[in-house]
Amino acid sequence: MENFHIDGSTYIPRIDFNAETGVLELEGESYHEYTTEFFGPIFSWLEDFLEQAGREVTMNFKMSYFNTSSSRRFLEILTLLEEYQNDKEGKVTVNWYYEENDVDMLESGEEYADDVELTFNLIAY
Amino acid sequence: MEHFSVKTFKQQLSAKKISLAFQGIFSQDVLALIGKSLRNTPDSRVIAKRLFAIVIEMAQNIHHYSAEKQYSEKDGRDIGVGIVAVAEDDQHYVITSGNCIDKHEVPPLIERANYINGLDADKLKAFYREQRKMPQREGKPGANLGFIDMVRKSGNPIEINIKDYDDTRSFFILSVRVNKEL
Repeated sequence: MENFHIDGSTYIPRIDFNAETGVLELEGESYHEYTTEFFGPIFSWLEDFLEQAGREVTMNFKMSYFNTSSSRRFLEILTLLEEYQNDKEGKVTVNWYYEENDVDMLESGEEYADDVELTFNLIAY
Repeated sequence: MEHFSVKTFKQQLSAKKISLAFQGIFSQDVLALIGKSLRNTPDSRVIAKRLFAIVIEMAQNIHHYSAEKQYSEKDGRDIGVGIVAVAEDDQHYVITSGNCIDKHEVPPLIERANYINGLDADKLKAFYREQRKMPQREGKPGANLGFIDMVRKSGNPIEINIKDYDDTRSFFILSVRVNKEL
């Protein structure tokens, strides 16, 4: 299966999903006006990737800003991963990176950690 | 015809301590530019990001929901027109947006704002998470989280003013105060 990559820009995060290593990364800023359209191909790739049972998946979020519309998309990604772990013998680890002193980004991570049953690391950088 | 006076305009902006004002089509590129320029505004990085977050939510409301639209060549679609301004007083940054909305949208917006303004921090957090879990609303590109996010990020209630615009539309003014001290 092909890897998935999008170069980041001002309002689009850098996306690096590696099918071989199972390391999926989202980094930067996310405030595209039409997140449903923007995230469409990302969800298609993820759904294909999660077809195969028993994968070891590491999901890295390293965001400096995301809007409320992206926040909903992130929850959808995490929910997909949670279902994968529960139904398809997947092993999922989420790493939520936040800039030291960014209390808001830390709180966002804590809220996601509460919303899904996954191994969830909050990591300051 | 009397010409527009840049000088008078600048004096008015200075008197009101307005650091940023944009009127027009809220295209994606405009959003990005406004965002960038805001990042360096205040001393605290956390407060800068909160201002940025609130302005982006307001700008995206205008982009999607303003009842006055213009065609944007670059974006290839009709995009909302409105105003966003950032001013300050001694204790706060004050972010204000203005745009047209259909008259029948006024009561539900006020009701939602009042409900959200009435929640304490814990209830607000719970409401945000509850709404985020709900399925995307049909035909609505937004996440329906903007007001909640504004109150959470600012720590203050949102203020709404409605003015008459024409027979079918009202002018919707939204203000949020962000404390300068964390």
